[in-house]
Amino acid sequence: MDAMNQPPREFVEPPESQLQVPVETQRGPAPMPRVSERRLEAAQKPGPRSESSDREPSDREPSDPPVPIVTDDGPRIGASGLKPVSPKLIPARYIAGIPGYVTGVLMIAACLVLWWWQGWWWLGLVAVIPAITVVQGLLFTPRRVRAIGYLDGEDELIVASGLMFRNVVTVPYGRIQSVKIDEGPVDRSYGLAKISFTTAADAGETLPGLPKEEAERLRELLTRRGIDTMAAL
Amino acid sequence: MTAPGTEPTAGPGTEATAGPSHQTTIGPDDNPATGSEAATIAHRRTHPITPLVTGWKIVVGIVAVLTAQNIARLAGDFTWGRALAALGILVVAVVIAVVASALSWWFTTYAVDESGVALHKGLLSKSREFAPREKIESVTVERPFLARLLGLSKVRVEVAGGGESYLDIEYVRAADAEELRTRILAVAAGVDPRQVDAASTPTAPGDLTDADQEPSADGAPPASAPPASAPDPLRKLLKGEVEDGELIAEIPTQRLVHSLVRDADFLLSIVFGIIGGIVAIGLGIWQDGFAFASLIALLPALIALPKYVFGRIEGGWGFVSRITDRGLRMRRGLLNTRTDNIATGRIQRFALKRPLLWRSPGWTSVSVTVAGIGDDSNEASNVLPVGTREELWLTLGHLAPTLGTADDMATLEHLLTAPARDIDGLRAPHRLQWYSRRTQVVVLLPGVLIQRHGLLARKLVIIPRDRIQQVAIEDDPFARRLRSLDLKVGVAGHTETIGDLPREAARHLHAVLAHDAATSRRYSDRSTWREPALALSASSGAGQETGR
Repeated sequence: MDAMNQPPREFVEPPESQLQVPVETQRGPAPMPRVSERRLEAAQKPGPRSESSDREPSDREPSDPPVPIVTDDGPRIGASGLKPVSPKLIPARYIAGIPGYVTGVLMIAACLVLWWWQGWWWLGLVAVIPAITVVQGLLFTPRRVRAIGYLDGEDELIVASGLMFRNVVTVPYGRIQSVKIDEGPVDRSYGLAKISFTTAADAGETLPGLPKEEAERLRELLTRRGIDTMAAL
Repeated sequence: MTAPGTEPTAGPGTEATAGPSHQTTIGPDDNPATGSEAATIAHRRTHPITPLVTGWKIVVGIVAVLTAQNIARLAGDFTWGRALAALGILVVAVVIAVVASALSWWFTTYAVDESGVALHKGLLSKSREFAPREKIESVTVERPFLARLLGLSKVRVEVAGGGESYLDIEYVRAADAEELRTRILAVAAGVDPRQVDAASTPTAPGDLTDADQEPSADGAPPASAPPASAPDPLRKLLKGEVEDGELIAEIPTQRLVHSLVRDADFLLSIVFGIIGGIVAIGLGIWQDGFAFASLIALLPALIALPKYVFGRIEGGWGFVSRITDRGLRMRRGLLNTRTDNIATGRIQRFALKRPLLWRSPGWTSVSVTVAGIGDDSNEASNVLPVGTREELWLTLGHLAPTLGTADDMATLEHLLTAPARDIDGLRAPHRLQWYSRRTQVVVLLPGVLIQRHGLLARKLVIIPRDRIQQVAIEDDPFARRLRSLDLKVGVAGHTETIGDLPREAARHLHAVLAHDAATSRRYSDRSTWREPALALSASSGAGQETGR
């Protein structure tokens, strides 16, 4: 095929109803112009799919490009309208982390004692690791809990988490394969629950620190909307 | 029609081939329906030498475990008495293993009848496996090494369902294996197995009645058998291999060999493997003197390289792929031929690769990620080991949804051949990400999301937009400095990381893909699902013929 020697014929200005990688005029025989943000926005005209489905749940006009879900203003990425989880998760996490903290402190103590007693100075370096874990757990847990957010939207569930390594994931209801509610003993004493759901992609998402009624409401919502909008693999 | 109580109808077929003599029906709980038409084939045992083969596996395992632990000490403490004792223990182990295998062999039987394939196993804990006719996806004849030495083969019946579902009939004679395979294929196609037997005998082909071609489970019309001579479809089945359907690719051996020679990854791994082996052996000899033990320890590493080479050759030798209404059927293999079947509707992602030296002949290799097929059967996911442009187009045209451009094939060629900086798409924003800017670009088309990466070898990852399960954006302090964000696109069985996108573009792309994930492939909207460009004309309402 001599397609290699000709400029690709597909980069032609599309009719308005079709979603295409939009085209600028070609300079010369082959090289393509550089990308720009504007091009991506123009490329977001929805295809014939959404025009034919009458059950568009959102109020968008079919020809509007989807509004970005993830917002980038402020120190962290997120989404507009994110709801925080219950602040009771903070003491719950502290209490649930007590065995870990105790173990860490014991390890540090053991390292220090052995260092003083036997003179193995390098144990001081070994002790740094549990020290970092304990300290960042004690210091950052409140901030980390406040950084968790979720939003049950029209078509999808958005979960944001993380302080420095922030992660905002969008999971459509129709793609959720299973929903699970977990309540550990500490969570239960604070009236909290954790909801986890999986999709066909391996990574499952979890949302901790929800009040029990909210977790039940979310589970019912996920199940109901999931059945309504269930998608094939 | 034979009288009940005599040899069941499997008789004619087995008389034609010199099968094993243990044809008696087993036990009171088997062999249903002897009183009726005797349509079922009685349960048979597998070949009597089977215990040797399966027992040998146990022995090898024991020996390997023992020697791996004590090899150095054994080499040092060698005396004849100890050697004889070890040999004696080995013999005892062999005897025990063979006896155990013989017991399990005695109670293992299989049967093929018009409702499917049944496999009964077990002495103490009986297990009955059954493969219903409608769920049989493919039948493979495999010849593991030791079995091949003894002239035996294994017949594997793949069943639709999860990645691990299959039925193994272990070790029948090689000739019987082919016949068994055609019989099972006939059953899966709805042909009465008795007629397969009758057709396979050299006598009386004229006795055949019309082949009882019921429509297959997915309702495809049985008109695939021409209204001409009735034995024709049976003869096609008897020839075995992948014969039905439309041909997509047939790789001549010369092309395979040339492609392997031209594959820099392959050559480099061979070279480094050999160099590594020589260095390791050299070091061992230099440090410890010539020690047999150290060579034994290196054996797994030394075996890995020929295994890899052999695996690459096996993956492409004699490759034939055809598209049928049951999916994509592929056949490949030199010593160990295998037939694979991939349901086209379950393909989630495509990975195309064109190494540096494949550019001038224009060869491409295609592998897919399929929902339900795990990583262990990775050979099955390689749907085109090395294909020309026409074969690439046929493969993708049948498997992938339409890309959505005016000329899909030219788009693909452009994406595969143009330097990355000449491709219209998203790339890394910051100067420090020079490598990504040079080699990586993300293109959003109406039907798919394509990521091109790779420096010397051109690699494309094609994700159909309607297969996206979830989309995530990841941020970290360095990304903020570099004004970029990572996008993680999840499809069934794989999460693709599209890194180093400009922040604005990443957010917009996330919104677009999230919209696709939320609204496409709904069960309630089946008519809007994207179809491959070259959908089979047999299916009703063949898909949108945009593309080409």
